[in-house]
Amino acid sequence: MLIATGSEDRAAFRELYHLTSAKLFGVVLRICGDTQAAEDVLHDVYLIIWRRAGAWEPGRASPITWLATIARNRAIDWRRAQKVRRAGPIDDASDIPDTAPDAESELVAAGERHSLRHCLEELEPRQGEAIRTAFFDGMTYADYAEARGVPLGTAKSWIRRGLARLKECLDRDA
Amino acid sequence: MTPEPDTHDPEPLDVAAAELALGLLDGEERAAALRRVLAEPAFAAEVERWRLYFAQLFDLWPEAEAPEGLIDRIDESLGGPKPSRTRRAPWPLIAVAMSALAAVLLVVIALRPTPTPLPAPVPQVQEGSRTLLIAALGDAKSPVAAAYHPENGLMRIAAAPTVPAARVAQLWAIGGDGVPHPLGLLTAAGTELRLAAADRARLVPGTTLAISVEPTGGSPTGLPTGPVVATGALSAV
Repeated sequence: MLIATGSEDRAAFRELYHLTSAKLFGVVLRICGDTQAAEDVLHDVYLIIWRRAGAWEPGRASPITWLATIARNRAIDWRRAQKVRRAGPIDDASDIPDTAPDAESELVAAGERHSLRHCLEELEPRQGEAIRTAFFDGMTYADYAEARGVPLGTAKSWIRRGLARLKECLDRDA
Repeated sequence: MTPEPDTHDPEPLDVAAAELALGLLDGEERAAALRRVLAEPAFAAEVERWRLYFAQLFDLWPEAEAPEGLIDRIDESLGGPKPSRTRRAPWPLIAVAMSALAAVLLVVIALRPTPTPLPAPVPQVQEGSRTLLIAALGDAKSPVAAAYHPENGLMRIAAAPTVPAARVAQLWAIGGDGVPHPLGLLTAAGTELRLAAADRARLVPGTTLAISVEPTGGSPTGLPTGPVVATGALSAV
């Protein structure tokens, strides 16, 4: 029975990969910025998932959110271990669309939580852009300041005020 | 460093939870925020809330096709039993109860037995008898997953609802007779119950599972005495 179960688990694992690898590869590829590195990180991510390092609790976060968070964190870890900073100007997440490609995930997001996206739109463009860039490119304050060529304190000030306004908006909606 | 003139806020902005959740901090600032997570439950909850907010942005993240053959390399590095290539588990059928992704993730993460050294191969059971019954108890937002293997009478529950001190979550089966029968007590970290023959007979597709909150040790009466916090019907996979 153990063997049968193990075999079923592996089939389920492949199905999980089939359902999620495009999203997770998109996440790690953007942050790693290199196909080979992204592949290695993605390999690592699925091993983590298989070993259950970090428990998924049904209900706390949606499955894809939990998996994508693992992928983003691993990719950021990898990049920081390389001590690689992005060369040249960053693309400031402008290639990331403002709306979800499918209405279903939109509905899920709206039903489960108050809309962060709605609140981001209320920010000054510079603040919203900085927060999106921090998320999609996995940047710290120091990364962002360097990429933008502004003093660290200035970068912190922009983003902190953006976060404070975001908090107001989210609390208001809550 | 000279701040811009308009940065003199009347009060300091406490956005440390958001900063940590977004990953903006490094070095000593990050260490300080992590210490707060450990020391202040309210702060930890705030960080978690922000994480969930920011996670909404994952919906927008463009997909990219993973390199071909990567799943095979991952599979190889796992070792152990090989998946049966010929048969794909019909997990998407579970979509009536929850998303296909949630279902496979449950099988891989929540319900997979703790890895054990494998005994010598045993003859596989017949394909047709390998049915699994699953249920998602509670609402769509926070279901508790249950899976029951009729072959060996094992019921696995991925988690348990939070209960007050000196209370315990108890699992019940309610069949055609409409009477709740106790199946066992649940622990928050997940529970595996080996059911008695009488209980096994009750578990068929359509049987309702319910979780109630009971005094420590379980209901003293044999019927639920506390609030029923989650229910769900078993369905065959």
